[in-house]
Amino acid sequence: MNPADVAQSALPLTSSDLSLLTLFWHAHWIVKTVMVGLLVCSVWVWAIAIDKTVLYARTRRAMDRFEQTFWSGESLEELYRSLVSRPTDSMAALFVAAMREWKRSFEASPRSFAGLQMRIDKVMEVTIAREVERLERRLLVLATVGSAGPFVGLFGTVWGIMTSFQSIAASKNTSLAVVAPGIAEALFATAIGLVAAIPATIFYNKFASEVNKQAQRLEGFADEFSAILSRQIDERG
Amino acid sequence: MMQMKKATAISAGLHAAVLVWATLSFSGKALDATPTESLPVDLISEKDFSQVTKGVKKAPKPVEKPKPLVEKKAAEIKPVEDIKPKVSEKPEIKPTADKLPEPPPAPEKKPEQKQAKAADAKPPQPMGEQKPDPIAETLKKDDTPKLSKVAERLPPRRPPQPKQKDFRELAEAALIDQREPRRMAAAGDVLNHDATLGRVDATASRLSQSEIDAFKRRVTDCWSPPVGLDSAQEMEVVFRVLFNRDGSIKRGPDIISGKATASGPVFAESARRAILQCQPYTMLRPEHYDNWKDMELAFTPSDMFR
Repeated sequence: MNPADVAQSALPLTSSDLSLLTLFWHAHWIVKTVMVGLLVCSVWVWAIAIDKTVLYARTRRAMDRFEQTFWSGESLEELYRSLVSRPTDSMAALFVAAMREWKRSFEASPRSFAGLQMRIDKVMEVTIAREVERLERRLLVLATVGSAGPFVGLFGTVWGIMTSFQSIAASKNTSLAVVAPGIAEALFATAIGLVAAIPATIFYNKFASEVNKQAQRLEGFADEFSAILSRQIDERG
Repeated sequence: MMQMKKATAISAGLHAAVLVWATLSFSGKALDATPTESLPVDLISEKDFSQVTKGVKKAPKPVEKPKPLVEKKAAEIKPVEDIKPKVSEKPEIKPTADKLPEPPPAPEKKPEQKQAKAADAKPPQPMGEQKPDPIAETLKKDDTPKLSKVAERLPPRRPPQPKQKDFRELAEAALIDQREPRRMAAAGDVLNHDATLGRVDATASRLSQSEIDAFKRRVTDCWSPPVGLDSAQEMEVVFRVLFNRDGSIKRGPDIISGKATASGPVFAESARRAILQCQPYTMLRPEHYDNWKDMELAFTPSDMFR
């Protein structure tokens, strides 16, 4: 017999059959579910990453612009009037909330200075919390995928190797050509899990520090603005 | 929220692109398992196996142009032609052949033809001892390095002595096949596709386990345990036995080694008696005589008590 024929017939799969699609298609349905789930996770993670990157860049630019106008010596009344008409976010929202409270207190009863400082602080605190919440939204998804993704992938791999060992036992053949495809498709699940989890972890860490930075910036501005308003209150009182 | 949708779309698009690229580019390349390394495996009986591995005297000599086993191997066959003359003129370099007046006719067809041609061309030239034929001379020249190598491997040549040992050494050296083992084309033999003339370092054609077992069983049957000996005692006696071709004992059993214990001599003597009593050992097959004509047999009490 020609040795080449023997070698050829011993291999159940030719090399072209070991593509990703074939690996996926031959897998057990649980492994398939794991793979599809991880793929969806990966898509979602990248979507969040793109969205957050854009959002943080825009927020940072908006803060820069607002701080510039705020410290440029423009009248706070005018600034308030120009901002109150349209929806605002981050620092501008903080400013508008504080000014609204200030104005309301003055217009309603000119003598109610006693609790004004405390009220303004409270309002600004609430606004900061709301802004941070907006910046932080969906970051937990990244954290979850980053920590659970490898485990889910590993589960798929373990399951796939389990089934492939069962089929090895059933076929009573331990040649590597029989064993290898099952293990390869099982390992594919771990690969997808890592592909989803690694960017998720990196993005989560990056975004968490970014949120922290912006929240501190908001708080710093709130303190400064609170100091300015407090001086105003003392002058008028 | 509009932005999140856009981001999702971008992300999905990126993933699709990566997946398509991976599907197209990622494919396990088959490892280079060269087809020449896969061996056809036949199940054969033990008898056939010993015939296969023994080496055949009538095995075909390397032919001029061996048919390539595999198409790709065609380039590697050339060296065979270079080596061939060394094989054909082997008798010339035999150390023991110096006594022979005339080297035996070379088994190769080609040299014969050449000789014939030479004889035709110069008919009056006598083929005597004084003047060996010119072709053999030239080939001898070619073989000079080879000759020196052979001389190195052989024991230093001494003036012939009547001592039997020296003769044996020389005879063994002469029997040893000095040629390097090499690939040969298919022999056409039914069982043995690669029949060779036998190899120095061939490991096959030894006593099979069943023969050894049968021999042991036979000795054990003949053995009568000496009084006061049990299987727990640790002792081992090694005998050297020389056999005749018919399975009877030529010499021995001589004790080569044994443990120094109190009951050792008794045990050794009983084992010796058992070996002598049971001859001839017909289970040792004459076709393997070379393998069992000189055996060292180790006996322990645990072997014998059954």
